[in-house]
Amino acid sequence: MTNSFAVAVAVARKDLRAEWRTRELVPALAQFVILALVIANFGFQIDSRNAPSIAPGILWLALVFAGLVAFGRAFAAEREQASLEALLMTPASPVAIFAGKATAATLLLIGCEAVLLPALTLFFGTPLSVQVIAAVLLATIGMAALGCLFAAMVARVRARELLLPLLTLPLWIPFIVAGGQAVQVAMGASGSYDQAMALLVDFDILFVVLTSLAARFVLDD
Amino acid sequence: MSILVANGLTHWFGSEVALESVDLAIDAGEHMAVLGENGAGKTTLLRILATAARPTSGGLEIMGLDALRERRRLRQRIGYVAHAPGLYPALSAAENLEFFCTLQGVSRTRAAETLALVGLASEASRPAGLLSRGMQQRLAIGRAILHDPKLLVLDEPDASLGSDAADLLAAVMSDRTVVMATHDHALANRLCQRTLTLRHGRSVGTATRLHVVR
Repeated sequence: MTNSFAVAVAVARKDLRAEWRTRELVPALAQFVILALVIANFGFQIDSRNAPSIAPGILWLALVFAGLVAFGRAFAAEREQASLEALLMTPASPVAIFAGKATAATLLLIGCEAVLLPALTLFFGTPLSVQVIAAVLLATIGMAALGCLFAAMVARVRARELLLPLLTLPLWIPFIVAGGQAVQVAMGASGSYDQAMALLVDFDILFVVLTSLAARFVLDD
Repeated sequence: MSILVANGLTHWFGSEVALESVDLAIDAGEHMAVLGENGAGKTTLLRILATAARPTSGGLEIMGLDALRERRRLRQRIGYVAHAPGLYPALSAAENLEFFCTLQGVSRTRAAETLALVGLASEASRPAGLLSRGMQQRLAIGRAILHDPKLLVLDEPDASLGSDAADLLAAVMSDRTVVMATHDHALANRLCQRTLTLRHGRSVGTATRLHVVR
């Protein structure tokens, strides 16, 4: 019998090891978020007064598009290598395989956030606090669960690059709303940080459970 | 005693029929070759027998289990070599097999044993993406037997293999029930006791060794 935890760890480690050796995704994503910040820097009139209200929006826009690329690659690479079938032909639990893929994609996006958050501070002078990091990390977990589920669904479809954002973005809105509010408050705007973080935790639990249940059906065929 | 019994296997891709009412019974330890031109339905039949695809209609029983309902249980006992090797190019040959050892729930020491069996022991640390096509095929065959399956489903396993393809395949097929698609009638005659010939998705006959239906 296969151990689901060992399977999830093996899948995540395999994806991270492949990324470490090929360096296909993280450098490109890091470059993308820096470019997004450069464009925003020239596109908006940002000063110390309006930075706390504008910078979070730029942060979430960059994060959403970087996330779409990161989660889309999670299953697209398996499809291109024709390895998805070999993976699913094992007796390993589809939920464990999904958990491993989602964990690896989350860690890769966190790597990208490690570039994005300090760069945001550098460009717009907004504070880089523990509260900001915590809000972004919490939102990343739920966004990764949803993003990987839809990436798995569209992996075998021809127009997957088009379908993935269409399916994923509407369901990411709760994370962007709650995460946006938490980051705005952490950067100095008025509002309740704790309430926004509680919402993020609720959304994380809800979507991680739902996607785990759905993964069995999505990956089984 | 039949280890695999298929009744009226039919598969449609949209409005195209890929497989039509194929009946099959394979005894334990028997080696059967599936022959036919390109597009005859060999890969579709093998994917269904390996539980990688569901037929549009028809029944399939493997080792006494309903293959359409008990797919995960059966996958512990089936080894499948698909048309494409489906390896991870950034991982070494050994890492590829060790990864699948974890997914199959077998000891990682099986990886080294299997590499030796398929003649890749000296290539263990080379990235799979840098191996020749023939070596990749050997690695894919090794992956299919990691968990010591009772039933082996091989889709053109001789593709890209060198002159010793028959010896390698004979070694991995011994003591197993095998269904193998191939274009090589001589190889089919050497390794299999029986052949099934498909044409336009239909079975046009079975034959025993040296009496291949053309």
